[in-house]
Formats: sequence, C-alpha cells, structure tokens
Amino acid sequence: MIQLLFTRLGQFLLLGLLLIIATEVSAHAVVTESSLKQHPIEINHPTEVALHFNAGVELALSKVFLVSKGDVFHPLEIAKGKKPGQVLIQIPALEEGDYAIKYKVFAADGHLTEDVIRFKVSAGR
Amino acid sequence: MYMQGLANFIDDFLGGLMLISYALVVGSVLWSFVILRVTKADRASDGAVLSSVKLLHLGAVSLAASVATKLVIKGAVLASTLGELPIGAYAGTVQFRAGLLRLFLALGFVGLAGQLKKQSGTLCCWNAVGWLTVPLVVSGAWLVHAVGRFENRELLMFTTVVHQLAAAVWFGCVVQLLMLWHTGRKDAAAKALWPLAITRFAWLGLSSVVLLVATGLFLAWTYIGSWDGLFGTGYGSLVVTKNWLFLVALGFAYLNNRAGKRWRETGEQDSLTKKVPFYIEAETFVLVGVLFIAATLSSQPPSVDIADRTAKVAEVVDMFLPSMPRVTSPTHEALLAGEAGRVAVVNKIPSVAAKEWSDYNHNVSGLILASMGLLAMLSYFHLAGLGWTRYWPTGFILMGIFLFFRSDAETWPLGPIGFWESTFGNGEVFQHRIATLMLFVLGGMELKARSNPEARGLRFVFPVLCAFGGILLLTHAHAEFELKSEFLIQTTHTTMGLLAMVLASGRWLELRMVTPESYREGQIAGFIGTAAMFLIGVIMVFYREPLI
Repeated sequence: MIQLLFTRLGQFLLLGLLLIIATEVSAHAVVTESSLKQHPIEINHPTEVALHFNAGVELALSKVFLVSKGDVFHPLEIAKGKKPGQVLIQIPALEEGDYAIKYKVFAADGHLTEDVIRFKVSAGR
Repeated sequence: MYMQGLANFIDDFLGGLMLISYALVVGSVLWSFVILRVTKADRASDGAVLSSVKLLHLGAVSLAASVATKLVIKGAVLASTLGELPIGAYAGTVQFRAGLLRLFLALGFVGLAGQLKKQSGTLCCWNAVGWLTVPLVVSGAWLVHAVGRFENRELLMFTTVVHQLAAAVWFGCVVQLLMLWHTGRKDAAAKALWPLAITRFAWLGLSSVVLLVATGLFLAWTYIGSWDGLFGTGYGSLVVTKNWLFLVALGFAYLNNRAGKRWRETGEQDSLTKKVPFYIEAETFVLVGVLFIAATLSSQPPSVDIADRTAKVAEVVDMFLPSMPRVTSPTHEALLAGEAGRVAVVNKIPSVAAKEWSDYNHNVSGLILASMGLLAMLSYFHLAGLGWTRYWPTGFILMGIFLFFRSDAETWPLGPIGFWESTFGNGEVFQHRIATLMLFVLGGMELKARSNPEARGLRFVFPVLCAFGGILLLTHAHAEFELKSEFLIQTTHTTMGLLAMVLASGRWLELRMVTPESYREGQIAGFIGTAAMFLIGVIMVFYREPLI
C-alpha cells in the first residue's frame, strides 16, 4: 500500500519536474546589429530604427513595443527591410529620458524570441 | 502569463521528444533491414521481428503525437505572447508546413507498423516502410536551425539532416538491442540472435559515430567558429556538454563491442549476457540526454552571432572557483525593496540583495547536498559505527524545509501574501511549491527504498528522476537574464546536469548489476554516481549569481 502510494507520488513528481522550468522562453533570433548604435534618437524627432536579426523573421507573427518610464508599453509599426533579417521600426517623437524597445519575434526556424534593447534620448546628441 | 510559460516549456520539451521518436522510427527501420534482415531469406525469428515492429509502432505514434501537439502548442504560445493568433500567417510558415508533412509521414508509419504487427513477414509493407523513411529524413531539413540562416543555408540543412540521421541510427538501434534482450527472455530464437545482433550492430554503430563526428565538426565550426565561442556562450557550452556525454556513450559502446568481439573469437558469452544489457541501459540514459541537448541547441543563438556578448574563459572559470559560501542572508525587507527596480524594463536597477539572497539559497542548499554526497560515499565502505550514513536521503527533506521558507520571499510564511493565494495565483510560486513537495517525496521515497529490502521497485525511481532532473538542468534557460549573464548561470547548470546524468547512470548500473560476476563493477558505478552528487553540491556551494 505504502509502495503504491510512493509510486503515485513518484509519478506526480515527474509531472512536477515538468512544471519546474515552465518559465523557460526559447531564444534563437537575436539582434546582431542595431542602427541605434550609429544613429542615436534625437529629442522630438521621429526615427526609423533598423534591427538586423541573425535569422529570418516572420513579421506577421511578431510584435515590437516602445517602453517608456514606468514600463508603459506602446505598440510600434514594423516593416521588412531591404537586407535579409532586417526589420524596420518606426519610433515616434520622444522627449528626453530612458526608453526601451521590447520585441517578440517569430524566427523562420520556428522559435519565438523576446528581448529588450534599452536606449536613452538626451539633449546634446 | 503562467500558461504561456508552461506552453513555452512544453514546446521545447516536445522538441526533445520529437527527436527521440524520430530516432526510434528511423533506427527501427535500419535495425529491421540490416540487423534482422527482414527482406532476406535468412531473416530473424518472428518474435524478434515483432518486437522490432512494436518499437517502430511506438516511435511512430510518439512522433505523430509530439509533432501534432507541438503544432498546437506553438500556436498557443504565439497567441499568448502576441495577444492574438493570425492563423493564416501561422499556417503559412515553413515550420508549420514541414511539421504537418512530418505528421502525415508519421501517421503513415503508424498504419504500416499496425499492418506489420498483424503480419510481420509482409514484404510490400516493409518496402513501403523503407521508402517512407526517405521523405521522413529529408523533411527534417526544414525543421532545423539552418532553415533560418542566410549563409550556406542548403549546405547546413543537408549536414544537419545527415547528423540527425546518424544519431537516430545509433539511438534507435541501441533501444532495439534492449528490446531484443527483453524478448530473448521468453523467445529462444531471439535469445540466440542476441550475440549476433551485437556483432552485426558494431559496424552500423561505428559508421554512425564516424558520420556524427564528421558532420558535428563541420556544424560546430560553422556555428561556433572560435574557442571563445565554444567556452564563452550557451551554444558552445551545450556542445561541450553534449560531447562529454557522447564520450560516455562511446565508452559503453566500446565495452559492448569488446564483449561481442570476445564472443566471436572464443564463444564466451558471460559478459554479453551478464553485463552488456545493463551497459546498454545506461548508454540509453546517456543518449536520451544527448538528444535533449541537441533539441535545446536549436533554441540557442549560435555563438558566431553573439560575438559581442561572449563571456571570457576567465569569467567562466570564475563561476567555479572556490570562495567562502554565503551563510548570512540579506534581510527580507532589503530584498523586497530592490525588487521593483530589478524587474523594471526601463530604468532597471540591479539588486544586490536579490543576488545575495539567491547566492545564500544556492550555497546553503549546496552545503546540504555536498554533505549528503559525502555521507553516501562513506556508506560504501561499510565502516563500523557508520551504518547511519545510509540515511543520507534525509538531506532531501532538510532541503525541502529550507526551500519552503526561502524560495518566495513575498509569500507566506515570510511575506504578506497567503499560502493558497500565492500558490494558485502565481505560476512561479506554484512551481517552487511543487519543487519543495518533490524534495520531501524524493527524500521519503529513497529512504524507504534504501531501508526496506522489500521495496525493490521503488529503488529505480531515484535514478530515473535524477536523469530527468539532469535533462531539465541541461535544457534549462534563464530567459530573464541578459545573454551573457544567462550563459554564466547556464554554465554551472549544464555542468550540474551532466553530473546528474552520471549520477543516474551510475546508480542505475549499481541497481542492475547485482550478480556475483558484475557486483564489483556495479558498486564502482554507484560510487562514481554518489561522487557526482557530491560535486553538484560543491558547485552549488561556490555558486555566485551575476549582478543584474
């Protein structure tokens, strides 16, 4: 009886182990180059940011957000660039401060990737 | 959010399961044609062929189920992450189409294997099985890493498919060997085939290994490209770990091959019947780990793409260097005060308290685990007055109590959020509660197994859980961290995963090799296993989380 109980608990344990790492997120498509490095965003100036991914990206299954102070999310328009793996993002005019681009992209190899690119908009640039 | 996390995990886990199922199907086909010679006049006995067909059927059902579930789960992950599911766009992806094709092919195998189970000698069915294997293998090209690449796409797709095929032949045939061994217990003809099958498999296994190494080297060169990439990225470290496990599996294969050779030369069967079956069981454990790592590799960015986020070898070494374990914890208030800044997307502020809280949890757990490993090793020497050391699994219960209080600072008993509210209202807390419960159960179960000679079946639960835990550690990612920090943490976890696989294989061999001829080797394997547990504890004692 006790052995049966332990066997059942063992089965439960296996299920539990499955749940343990349930917060894992696949990560394959990564940004290999960003235009933010060469062309920082100027104050109150709408900008097109180009991100280059290491794999093809399915735009219809991808979303990009602008995150501003207080972690407020605004969806952004995205389009395919001329080069393979290039995604163009339209950033609206921004005031001085800290921001982030949060992207969720579906790569051609079937992996969904979420990541954040932080950037600063400041005077004197 | 919790469902999304669960779906993400199941999606990745299914990748490993798909690879295993695929290997079972492809390996079974090769086994049937080459080892059992099902289309030749000197074909193996009906019993042996039927057992092979059963495994082929199981592999095909498992492949169809895992592919279908993966397609649904992937849709669920997309819907959960994006807030909607553009079905047309999803159905138009290469992944969906290739997955659907593989599903239909797997269903074809299910049907054919079903027919062969009724009449295993039907030649046209075997021919159909042989031909159906070709598109099954080829369709894999659109389901691998390479399909999303921009350079050398076709060459990489081809090489990966050959690499997968070689792995499938090795793994599938090894499982078939096990199946034949079990069939031989009841079927005299299958028993007679056993030594012959071992020797026939030798050249097939060797060819697979040569192909694996050749294609593996090319893929590693292309995706990793440098020593820094090999030792300083998640992709590289998984390849290193995979190769260590590969060498262990190769060691077992060598022992099997040596026993087969001895049988051919002298007719001596002792090793073949009293040791080899258990070596093959352990080899299967290890190869399952290898296949799960292979599946995890596809969700890691290749090292060549993240050259600017590669850790230096010195930073990796630093993660393992001995240092004083943290035995004092930051206060509960200090931890909570830093949480808002730590989890923020904008204006993120690293929390020293969170890092120290985590270090303390790992280090104290490591001290408990290392002590357990030490006691377990001592128990092998049967020293006078140290009989109590066999109760070392009590340490699991101790760890359970520790984690119950430490894993979630914001919830009961330390924090203001109630037990039930936190357990069922927060996915992460729920997982920690399950982990705590598991430690209690594991401790109770292993104590019972070691102290009660009647509980023989129960003893096998521990190595199976260890292997499973090892696979989870090998496939676990810390997505909330930056890539480089994630890797530095991952490097300790993959090492622990590797050691957990050693622990599982060692304990399994110890439990299986109980005959007078193999007892000593079994004891050595068990001791090596407990030494691996001790080393896992030591790694945790020195664990230092990067400040994020």
